[in-house]
Amino acid sequence: MSKRVQILLFILPGLILVGLFVYGFTAWTFQVSLTNWRDVGSTGDFVGLDNYIRLFSRDRVFKTSLVNTLKLTLVFIGVTIPLGLFLAVLLDLNLKGKQIFRLIFLLPLSFSFVASASMWTWMFSPQIGSINALLRAIGLGSLAQPWITSDKQALFCIAIAYVWQFSGFSTLVYYAGISGVAPEITEAAKIDGASTFQRYIRVIIPMQRPATLTVLMILLMYSLRVFDLVWLMTGGGPGSSTEILSTFMFRTAFNRNRFGYGAAVGIVMFVISILIVIPFFAKLRRSEYE
Amino acid sequence: MKRGLAILLVLCFLLIGAAAFSSSANELVVYHWWTAGGEKEAIDALFEVFIDDHPGYSIVQNPVAGGGGGILRAQIKTMIMAGNPPDTFQITYGHGMISSFVSVLQPIDDLIKGYNIPEDVYEWGRVDGVMYGVPLNLMQNNCLWYNVDLVEELGIEMPIKSLDEFLGICAKVKTEGYIPLAVGAGMGQQFWLGTLFEAVNSALPGGGADFLNNYYAGNMVLSESEVFIETLKILRTLAVNGFVNDDWSALTWDQASDLMATGKAVFYVMGDWAKGHFTSMNMVPNVDFGYQPFPGTDDVFVGHADCFVLPVGVDRKIAKDWIQFLTTVKAANTFCPIKGAAPFVLDAPLDVYDEITKKILGFFRDDGVVKVLSQFGAPPESYLDVFGTAFSEFFNSPEVNKNTLGNFDYAYEEVFLF
Repeated sequence: MSKRVQILLFILPGLILVGLFVYGFTAWTFQVSLTNWRDVGSTGDFVGLDNYIRLFSRDRVFKTSLVNTLKLTLVFIGVTIPLGLFLAVLLDLNLKGKQIFRLIFLLPLSFSFVASASMWTWMFSPQIGSINALLRAIGLGSLAQPWITSDKQALFCIAIAYVWQFSGFSTLVYYAGISGVAPEITEAAKIDGASTFQRYIRVIIPMQRPATLTVLMILLMYSLRVFDLVWLMTGGGPGSSTEILSTFMFRTAFNRNRFGYGAAVGIVMFVISILIVIPFFAKLRRSEYE
Repeated sequence: MKRGLAILLVLCFLLIGAAAFSSSANELVVYHWWTAGGEKEAIDALFEVFIDDHPGYSIVQNPVAGGGGGILRAQIKTMIMAGNPPDTFQITYGHGMISSFVSVLQPIDDLIKGYNIPEDVYEWGRVDGVMYGVPLNLMQNNCLWYNVDLVEELGIEMPIKSLDEFLGICAKVKTEGYIPLAVGAGMGQQFWLGTLFEAVNSALPGGGADFLNNYYAGNMVLSESEVFIETLKILRTLAVNGFVNDDWSALTWDQASDLMATGKAVFYVMGDWAKGHFTSMNMVPNVDFGYQPFPGTDDVFVGHADCFVLPVGVDRKIAKDWIQFLTTVKAANTFCPIKGAAPFVLDAPLDVYDEITKKILGFFRDDGVVKVLSQFGAPPESYLDVFGTAFSEFFNSPEVNKNTLGNFDYAYEEVFLF
């Protein structure tokens, strides 16, 4: 048996499974999105692009979900990455209590989404929540907010919960990246008279480009399909103010029995993810070669 | 030797896996959503009596909490589509809800022959003249619950006779520093605003049975309905005057009922299952909490039921025995008193029920009271989600204008025409 055949045999099970469960079902979802399937017991009729036309021309909640998904992604990534880098630098500085802080920074990562959703829902409760209670206790009661009960603030509250949960992950990746910087390089900068601040700003942080791309890629892929904390904290409400594409897709398919329409939402999510993620993949590959 | 051990280990895992995924002929796989206080105790007691009556049987129960059954229904759909339905599952009883599942359900007319319940209850659930679900417990939706201590403290005379009187009392309660009306429609439970809508609508001239039957049949243009618009205006009054708790969109129904139970709110509009929740908190009916039909709805009973169904493809004796068991007086009088619901079965002795349940049942059996099937049974399943969102959006910015009405028209189209 030639080596090429042996390799093929080894990767064949993986290829079949990925082909069936990833690409096969994506294709099937696209096929479903072209039907008016709305009955649990039958698969509906072919309606062409009607579902997509309705989504983009008439469905107000879909548009809200799309905008909310992009807003959540921007805030989530825009805060998690710099925060992770900052915390990683703090850990690298070997300050007193480093071990405890490392544990504190990484702890949220080990929390289940259900536990953190319950915790943040309680913290953001306007009546009994600890944030408003704290504000009132220190005499800043006028700053107490409606938080997750407000259609203007609820999405922001969810973004904070996601940042809290994932900042440990970006800290971990950056800390590994910073630890991987060869001591000779930082020593050389030191000899050249660079201060600690300058060493980080001019030498260490610019070398974290691969780490940044890795964190960005993973968080981006995750944020475009988040579901858990949103569903658990607000269920998409109040109204549809925190509705995002994934919750809207679930709701449409499984609470409203519009399986074809829900599949169309899924395909839109898939296309958006591909459009956003592929350039980053290309960039990551290029930086690997460099 | 090592290879032999490895093969043995794999075989063991396969056997354990096979055992885990198969249910024996004497195991009933049941899915339901009763997990809150009162409900859980009731279904556990019902299972116990079923097992006592059928020695050798056992129950594999799968309680799926959340969304007033929405999460359970979503799970059931995936199981049915995968060709792996449970032996039986719970849905709310009513022709609209059952229609959403009818293509995957078996007729059960033969199994429930002789079930001694009123004919109009049969009619509530029949789809094209066929029964698919066995209704277990009667529930009234247009209930007003109140905290007895607070009502006495504030000198409110009960019962409240009309909607106008109720709104006036709400204003007074608000000035006394209490929450007049507890509302919980958060965490994916936005559809409870639909229960409030039904109660308010039933208190209005032209509302109630005439309106709701037409409304749930999909025969209306909402932006052209004066009664619908008037109902929205009353809901607006409740929202903009601060008659409801600020955090209504962050609370589940039972958390909102706790506002009333713990003396923070005076009133609470919720179906009679709230009573089971109150009694599970050791509150005594008519001592700690009281009941009346929502003010101005003395002549309307907005109700529904929970039922169990038999999916297509399930041909097991134990599943059929379960459906038949639910038609017995024993089943009704085991389950309903604990859950805080009333029994449908006409020959059920009523001595095990509290005064409030007897009052609700008397109300239901009164020929002068018009019965209307609620949002949980009358419209198609999608109504709960679509209108839950629509009512929540409205409650959040309660303006009755062209834009709002357009949103409701679109929601109505989504449920009944799309």
